[in-house]
Amino acid sequence: MNLRALSFRNISAVYIFVVMFVVFSIWIPDRFLQVGVWRSILDAEALTGLAALAALIPLVTGSLNLAIGAQVGFTAILSGWLLAKAGLPIAVQLPLVLVVGALIGWVTAVVITRLRVEPIVATLAMSSILLAGMAWVSGSQQILDLGPSYRTLATTQWAGVTVPVYILFAVALVSWYVLERTPVGRRMYASGFNPDSARLAGVGVTRIQTGALMAGGAISALAGALLTSRLNAGDPTVGPSFLLPALTAVFLGSTQFRGGRFNVWGTLVAMYVLAVGIKGLQLGGSPRWVNDLFYGVALILAVALSQWESRGRMLWRGRRRSGEPEEPAEAEPKVTTPAGHS
Amino acid sequence: MSAEMSGGDPLLRVTSLVKDFPGLRALDDVSLEVRSGEVVAVLGHNGSGKSTLVKVLAGRYAADGGTVELPASAGEEAAELHFIHQDLALVGALTAVENLNLIGSARLHPHDSRAERRRATELVSRFGEAFDVTVPVASLTPGQRAIVAIARALDGWTHPRNVLVLDEPTESLHGAEVEVLFSAVRRLAADGAGVMFISHRLDEVLALADRVVVLRDGRVVAAEPVDGLDHDRLVELITGVTPAEIEAHQPQDVRSTDPVLSVRGLRGGAIENLDLDLHAGEVVGVAGVLGSGREAVPSLLFGAVPSHAGSFTVGGAVVLAPTPATSIRRKVAFVPGDRARHGSTAQMSARENLTLPQMRTVRGAGGAISTRRERAEAERRLAAYDVRPHRTEQRFGLFSGGNQQKIVLARWLRDDPLVLLLDEPTQGVDIGAKTTIYEAVGQAAANGTAVLVSSSDTKELLRICDRVLVLRDGRLVAELAGEALTEHRLLVEGYGLTPDNPEIQTNQGPS
Repeated sequence: MNLRALSFRNISAVYIFVVMFVVFSIWIPDRFLQVGVWRSILDAEALTGLAALAALIPLVTGSLNLAIGAQVGFTAILSGWLLAKAGLPIAVQLPLVLVVGALIGWVTAVVITRLRVEPIVATLAMSSILLAGMAWVSGSQQILDLGPSYRTLATTQWAGVTVPVYILFAVALVSWYVLERTPVGRRMYASGFNPDSARLAGVGVTRIQTGALMAGGAISALAGALLTSRLNAGDPTVGPSFLLPALTAVFLGSTQFRGGRFNVWGTLVAMYVLAVGIKGLQLGGSPRWVNDLFYGVALILAVALSQWESRGRMLWRGRRRSGEPEEPAEAEPKVTTPAGHS
Repeated sequence: MSAEMSGGDPLLRVTSLVKDFPGLRALDDVSLEVRSGEVVAVLGHNGSGKSTLVKVLAGRYAADGGTVELPASAGEEAAELHFIHQDLALVGALTAVENLNLIGSARLHPHDSRAERRRATELVSRFGEAFDVTVPVASLTPGQRAIVAIARALDGWTHPRNVLVLDEPTESLHGAEVEVLFSAVRRLAADGAGVMFISHRLDEVLALADRVVVLRDGRVVAAEPVDGLDHDRLVELITGVTPAEIEAHQPQDVRSTDPVLSVRGLRGGAIENLDLDLHAGEVVGVAGVLGSGREAVPSLLFGAVPSHAGSFTVGGAVVLAPTPATSIRRKVAFVPGDRARHGSTAQMSARENLTLPQMRTVRGAGGAISTRRERAEAERRLAAYDVRPHRTEQRFGLFSGGNQQKIVLARWLRDDPLVLLLDEPTQGVDIGAKTTIYEAVGQAAANGTAVLVSSSDTKELLRICDRVLVLRDGRLVAELAGEALTEHRLLVEGYGLTPDNPEIQTNQGPS
């Protein structure tokens, strides 16, 4: 590790965390510095973390998924419905939910890659369709009577930490390995940065993007299944609220560690840092609407930070290379991702 | 048409202009004048400094020396410079009326659409027959679009004595449309404007210009009236008679062996029908003017764009509908002309760009990429191709053009390809990197790779190719090798200036 790895630019979330920790520890030490508080943050955010990874994986390949919240919500309702109404055992219900999640990703991929609808539009539409599906399956009612055993899935603790946290870190570990250590991951990043040049380098861009959306779909379904387990009910109102925290974490995470690249650990660190901030504000007595305000502001700051970073780079290059007899070599700015701009 | 050529006052005076790029002097002591009432053609090869000159005049580059003046003569306002670029800069979905009002129309009060329409019709009909100004310009003919662009450039002239710079405006025009544009330009000149006309179409230059300024390697090598010039003389001026500058290339004759790549009846893009054989160890050039289909050949063979072929074999195996992935598996490599858009990923490191097409050999246990192995390989390749700075982890986008191209070439030569397809391999590349690239291509051929180079740079083709195929209008018109392979012949064949075929001489468009 050199100094650059510890610079504010590279690990700003860690510095922000330290500042927040100090501030809250001084302000509300009796409430903030409790083991229970930290355990509850770890547990409560595990599902957000899964949703964030589900958004991250397709985003690496260039597809911004605005349907993540709806995907979590739909699969949560589906989990409840399969248990309570269809009467399936968990051993069948859980795999089925994951398959349906992957299938949703596949449909999204077809819309994006075959029908050539911009990801942002395609996923917005998918989101609406899934919300309709949710209302249809649930009749806009909570689905109760899931049976006694399903709840244990999300509430069992090992060493004081609930199962979803372990699941999150397992999924994160696999995602990290694939994205950063395997040729597939390299091709995923290449597809997201510059699909044209990736294709000419032999990358099956369409296949990569489809796979990423399907993997994201399966992970969001996992989050949905765990959500229903935790609530002990299929609740049609909760899922969509995962979208903003998940995307905020992904975008803020892209400014961490990997110099503008979307990445797994940056996403998780960013998410927990944001969660600690919110928890601290809540414990300090802030009203609930502060959550939304906090995520909104954080999302703007996260994206602005990544833009600022790439602009800084461009200026620097401009100085060095203003004399080159050609246009800047960077790819043209692309849709909505900071990585596309960087 | 050259009636006033010596009588007019200078409207634009360029004196001793110098523009340096790292490792390259693009403009070297360039002086020229454009006078009222005359059309001055600026001629030169790619890399001669033409486009740099236009960019300096347009203010996109700052000159490193010299002056650009717009002298005002007694009682006259100073001239203004107006530009019409190759792409015309029109908004295709808007109508002619709207395009004419784009500039300076940020006001919010409602406009008088009838008056605007009348004025637009008036403006465009100054240059010939009026046409419908209320349809989107995308649905107009290219010639009419050019008229709209000219009308817009002229709109708001407070006096006629301005300078209009036309930068390769006829690229997209057909013969008759070129004539429409030219009569518009002549009318302007007759009204006292000065016109600077950048083109590489010699016939057009002879037809339109009063005076010719020829640039070569950033210097003005000729500034003469067009009277007394002909095609041959122009070609001579553009290329210069400098055989000593071109390094001797020992042509390989390997055509007795079986071809590595063989294609019959290749079609796609601008290519109508092409037969081609590439043999191991030879470097084959593809030449031709813009619109000849020259640049389409490598991407068609690679499968970057859809192609059809009567028969197509690589390494003896039949190829059906090539795609980049299948071509790479057949050991065919392709270096695209547009490095930023197609050839590289600016956000990734040099190392990642280098290994993207083939990561098999840098994998370690469990199929994962071995960072150690990958870095070692990247280190080695960057050193072999003299990439500066020698940093495998630096973002690709932060390297200079020449070094980027070296990395791209290194990427494709990693696996000793059977066939290497190159499109404009040294575009935007400084002299030093050029040499490295030529050496790498020569080395690849020596190792048995069949190389195909499509290039607009005739010097480059002469320097590295064993034989050169000249295309025109999507078809092969000549194959030059040995004694016949000269810059002069390349130009003559490329432009279709064969003396015994006068019909082609007068044909102005690519039609």
